Amino acid sequence: MNRRARTRTLALLLFTLYCVLYGTFVLVAAFGTFHEGKATGGLSREAFAGLSWGVVGGFGLIVGAFLLALAYAFVARDEETGS
Amino acid sequence: MIYETSTLAIAVFVAFVTAVLILSFWLGSRAKSAGGYFAAHGQVGWFVNGIAFAGDYLSAASFLGICGMIAFFGYDGFLYSIGFLAGWIVALFVIAEPIKRMGKYTLADALNARFQSRGLKLVAAIATLVISLFYLIPQMVGAGALVKPLLGLPHWAGVAMVGAAVTVIVATAGMVSTTWVQFIKGTLLVAVCTVVVALLLERGFSLPTKPIPSDAIQTLQVTPSGTLVHGQPLSKENQLDSRLRAEFGTGFGSIASLPDGARSTGPLGPLAYFKVFAASTVTTWKKSTDPNGVTTWSPVERTGADLLLPGASPTFKGVRDDRLVAKLDFLSLMLALFLGTASLPHILIRYYTVKDAASARKSTVVGIGAIGAFYVLTLYLGIGAMTSGALDPTDSNMTAPLFAKTFGDGLFAVISAIAFTTVLGTVSGLILAGAGAVAHDLLRDVFRMNLDDRGQVRAAKIASVALGIGAVGLGILFEKLNVSFLVGWAFNVAASANLPALVMLLFWRRTTKEGIIAAMSVGLLASLAWVLASADTLEKVLGYSAADAATMALVPFSQPAIVTVPLGFLTLVVVSLCTQSTTRKKPHAAL
Repeated sequence: MNRRARTRTLALLLFTLYCVLYGTFVLVAAFGTFHEGKATGGLSREAFAGLSWGVVGGFGLIVGAFLLALAYAFVARDEETGS
Repeated sequence: MIYETSTLAIAVFVAFVTAVLILSFWLGSRAKSAGGYFAAHGQVGWFVNGIAFAGDYLSAASFLGICGMIAFFGYDGFLYSIGFLAGWIVALFVIAEPIKRMGKYTLADALNARFQSRGLKLVAAIATLVISLFYLIPQMVGAGALVKPLLGLPHWAGVAMVGAAVTVIVATAGMVSTTWVQFIKGTLLVAVCTVVVALLLERGFSLPTKPIPSDAIQTLQVTPSGTLVHGQPLSKENQLDSRLRAEFGTGFGSIASLPDGARSTGPLGPLAYFKVFAASTVTTWKKSTDPNGVTTWSPVERTGADLLLPGASPTFKGVRDDRLVAKLDFLSLMLALFLGTASLPHILIRYYTVKDAASARKSTVVGIGAIGAFYVLTLYLGIGAMTSGALDPTDSNMTAPLFAKTFGDGLFAVISAIAFTTVLGTVSGLILAGAGAVAHDLLRDVFRMNLDDRGQVRAAKIASVALGIGAVGLGILFEKLNVSFLVGWAFNVAASANLPALVMLLFWRRTTKEGIIAAMSVGLLASLAWVLASADTLEKVLGYSAADAATMALVPFSQPAIVTVPLGFLTLVVVSLCTQSTTRKKPHAAL
């Protein structure tokens, strides 16, 4: 596998990972947080230090995206050409 | 509401906008060719391009819309922040590098790289124009919202000012100056919002001088002879929040109780801020309008913990409903936000301003860092505004500048100037994308007009003036809609029209030009038709009551992406399989 193909595979793996995280968050918000209009779990549960999973999960998805982007940029740093 | 103008605020605002325009003229004089006008000669550095991504992307929807939505409804506005940022993952990992390798000036260039089809160029150019116009509406609405409290001018004046300024920027300069306007705006927006959040944490939460009772109802009636507040004519002394301020020492949006019976918290840390808020109660305001046109706002106490959960706004109310069909609106919008970013023409053309695919990748990472930092701040800004006593209950779009005013006129002036530049930066990018579609794709490639480099640039400048005039009209027409809500529609249309074509072109070798043309046409028309036939359009654009709109709507929910994106993929696959023999196979050089 050449360098560009390897980078492409890594990009798609990281994309899939983020899709799973984002999809889980959205599905928990939609189906796991309310029952008959009342908060029963999911994003309303405490994650740590008095913060709910709604706050932690939301910030986690934003910060996590940046960390994945940094990891990708680091691994792909040698593939400088290709225009 | 009547807003008092501040000389300091106006002076800072005028100086700031003038400086940006002068810089724009100066840079514009250096870009005469089509390569310079549309793509800044491909010589923008990756770091500058990354911050310019932030300047391009952090539009009025992000700054004014999200802040207003969080202040009015809590966590629902933050869902936009999460979705908007998540969309950059699609851009970075799937689209960025191939699109840089395939394109030249426009999205149509990239889509047409394998096929050289006039039909494909035509459809791609139309999609670019429609999406850019959809995205322009909330930017212009945001401009009108900004100018009201800052200069005391009516909404239409703000819209016209932005229209004029942006048309001047794009018509005189193009991508070079647009890039620098966006770079300056991106840098300042993130930096100043960080300062505001630091001040907010230092201030913490505090109670009003007296608790607001549940019968403290505020009324407003617009009559042919003028606006009545609490039954008396609107004046500087008799405004919607005048009674509240006189009796309780706060305007709309305030803390009702704090943990442990405290009256104020003092400075709070970034995590403690949300912990304290979740354990507090907040006075929010429920709006209702009777058949005589009298609008009332009644105080409703809600827990901070509840406001940090989704489903409080009309847009996301289905989250709290047990019926699957009600939840589809939420799921569809979150899908549109995720897939829409990488389908926005004004974002994609920014990839042509850097020299190679590696620079495209690195600039996306920088963009994600800057944009992510801003979106983290939005939850603080929105909660801060919600409890600042500075809301205008008639217009959520004015929340951010009014909130900044609680820290003094200086910060208000700076924030307003940056917010105005925010609109300038995004609108410049949108009009440039539209002008490129007209001059480069439609006139030169589809209608085969004999345009040399200078001819293309001249045609693009004329197109940008026409687009600017159109944008002003739309901004005046849609004044009352929340700008985040409007941007949600643009993301739906962009994801439905462009994403299936982009992804399948990159990853499926049997894709044909007929498949792409069909998928883009079906995605564009289906998403537009769905939006127009939805209850949201009937209620919020055409003015029907919520009950009538729900009855008359032709589609079961308002956000189309969950249906129209798969429909685009399906169309592309079916049509491509049926037209294999008509398309000469070419290797995927871009991959």
